[in-house]
Amino acid sequence: MGAALTADRIQFAFTIMFHYLFPIGTMGLAPFVAWYTLRAARTHDATYDRAAQFWAKIFAVNFAIGVVTGIPMEFQFGTNWALFSARSGAVVGQPLAMEGVFAFFLESVFLGVFLYGRRYVSPTLHAASAVLVWIGAWMSGFFIVAVDAWMQHPVGYTLASDGRIQLESLAAVLLSPFAWWQYLHAITGAVLTGGFLVAGIGAYYLLSRRQEPYGRLFVQTGVSVAFAFSILAIFPTGDRNGANVTEYQPAKLAAMEGLFHSTYGAPLDIIGMPDSKTQTLIDPIAVPDMLSFLAYGNFNTAVKGIASYAPNDRPPVAVTYYAYHIMVGLGMLFLGLSTLAIVCWRFRGFDRSRGLLWMLMLAMPFPYIANEAGWVTSEVGRQPWIIYGLMRTAAGASSNVAATETIFTIAGFVGMYALLGLLFMLLVMREVGIGPEGENAGIALAQAAP
Amino acid sequence: MIVVAFIVLVLMLGTYVLLDGYDLGVGIVHLFVARTDSERAATIASIGPFWNGNEVWLIAAGGALFGFFPLVYASAFSGFYLPFIVVLWLLMFRGIALELRGHIANELWYRFFDVTFALASGLLALLFGVALGNVVRGVPLGRSHYFEGTFTFLLNPYSVGVGLLAVAALALHGAAWIAMRVDGPAAERASRAVRIVSPIVAVLAAAITYATFHVRSPWPNLLAMPWIALAPLASCGGLFGVIATREQPGRTFAASTLFLAGMLASAAATLFPYLLPGFPSADGGLSIYTIPASPNVLATMLPVVIAGLAIVGGYRAFIAGRFARGRFPTV
Repeated sequence: MGAALTADRIQFAFTIMFHYLFPIGTMGLAPFVAWYTLRAARTHDATYDRAAQFWAKIFAVNFAIGVVTGIPMEFQFGTNWALFSARSGAVVGQPLAMEGVFAFFLESVFLGVFLYGRRYVSPTLHAASAVLVWIGAWMSGFFIVAVDAWMQHPVGYTLASDGRIQLESLAAVLLSPFAWWQYLHAITGAVLTGGFLVAGIGAYYLLSRRQEPYGRLFVQTGVSVAFAFSILAIFPTGDRNGANVTEYQPAKLAAMEGLFHSTYGAPLDIIGMPDSKTQTLIDPIAVPDMLSFLAYGNFNTAVKGIASYAPNDRPPVAVTYYAYHIMVGLGMLFLGLSTLAIVCWRFRGFDRSRGLLWMLMLAMPFPYIANEAGWVTSEVGRQPWIIYGLMRTAAGASSNVAATETIFTIAGFVGMYALLGLLFMLLVMREVGIGPEGENAGIALAQAAP
Repeated sequence: MIVVAFIVLVLMLGTYVLLDGYDLGVGIVHLFVARTDSERAATIASIGPFWNGNEVWLIAAGGALFGFFPLVYASAFSGFYLPFIVVLWLLMFRGIALELRGHIANELWYRFFDVTFALASGLLALLFGVALGNVVRGVPLGRSHYFEGTFTFLLNPYSVGVGLLAVAALALHGAAWIAMRVDGPAAERASRAVRIVSPIVAVLAAAITYATFHVRSPWPNLLAMPWIALAPLASCGGLFGVIATREQPGRTFAASTLFLAGMLASAAATLFPYLLPGFPSADGGLSIYTIPASPNVLATMLPVVIAGLAIVGGYRAFIAGRFARGRFPTV
């Protein structure tokens, strides 16, 4: 049981973390594709049109790999987490079914129209399809986050006499404030990533002195969006998420902050290494009393520490702590970098700010790390529960799938995802190499169009 | 109410087979009927805008099964762990092949993905058929409704026969699609493929129907609900239609659709009310009455899913209408 559970968890963690890289790309780039498309429709400026087509192709590669790596997630609920599924399917199945019916169809059908349909549909419908793809991508994200939020903070259910979880109110599940703040934070993270991607690719064009009108356009749009969403990531979405965790998941809060012992006037730790064995924070740099203030609005309020929970109710401290601090640290960095970029743009122009362009180009991977770290905080901090307070993770795994079976499939996934990752990089770098101005920019599209 | 959930689920799965069926079928036959690079490109392009949306029906049906009948979802997916993961990998390879093929203009790149696409499509059709065969035949389920058999149990002659029928029937469907939607020599070869494959399908379908009476007799359901006899009649009509409409590819495709729909409806009508019957007797299996989802789930989800599907059907039909104006030429 122990080995099987570990294998199930590793497989889920690996496949979901790899998968999530691509929805970040689609949810983050969809608004840019739609924005450039709408600008093109309004101004009849070919620059915007080519910009939209360029990002739509990057979006399409993200979408393809996202779909392909998304199917294993739905499968794994049944294959590796059968007991969880059988018990909670009445609730968890609903948003998943709705995602398929409402979001996937919309996104996939209208992406087809946007990429292949220019000759068949009116310009208005073509432009509208970019917006519908955006709506589809964001709805899809919502239904998935609604499932996760329900596992974090279950609402709208009743317990049957045999322990099965029954759906009481779908509206309560979908309208839960916990879910909405979590969703808005995740979306903010994705758009922030999109902003840094657009700015980073633009910076690459400006630095290499190719396709400079597009480079300038991308850096301008990218840093504007990145600046706005760096703020939104912290306030209100990050702040409200923190408040929800404080209220509903205090053990997670303690793990995130590396607070081992309940403290009046708890400090906010900036840097330090938590050691679960000795229950201390090694070499901390902290702001005194700040955690109490942030959590409860009072510098003296007590914050419960990890040690006050029974050992089998404690989340893993080190992973939760590091993931959370990486996310927050990077969040601050994004705000600083995007502010600097706006200042350089206004006062020097991008052409004279090559150092800044270098930073923007090299910053591209970091929003991905921040997004993943945020999810690790959320999901590892949820342990040992699969449904917070209702069902333990150990009780959710399939009892009839052996560790060795899962180890075999993990090996398969690792091999396949290594290939997918390489193909993704190859295709995206190739599209970037061709660029929005490129003569055979439309090879995939030309081939498909009659 | 629970019966409506069964029907919605069957309709969703059936729509998946009819729609993804033609692009799986294109995968099975395209190496044979499309020979040159431009013929291949046109063939792939004819399904390019659609295959992903088609496959979404599988995902949506999976979601609906999860929501309506969680225990069946849990039992089937964990009980058949490796087969399900293999199906998953094949679906993934197929998706990669279709999506990434067009990105680099290089003959070796094309060739690699064409063969990947063909192998994955053929194996998927086979595995889906074997799975359906096992569902009709029943599988040994333990007291807690989890599979208690071996891998070799699943590869019995009846199920493998259904698998072969699935490959042949989808090859026919895919060839009919190519004949209808692609111009030039590929379409001619596809028409010839339809003529070659349709008698094979007829023989296999007759044999499987005969065998089904020994594996799981449809008589009880047939006597209780005589109108379900329409389903096998429809599939016979479809098959005759395929043979009778050789010169009109559009009608051949419609007839092939009718044939597949009739076969699937027959299977569903035979199975009802079971979703996963036991073996050797159906009794130990999972039916729609074995621990169904809570009534509240059906009351909330059925209207939502049906409304959602109606919206999808509306815009899909609209878009398909726009795209159907043109054939895909081989340039």
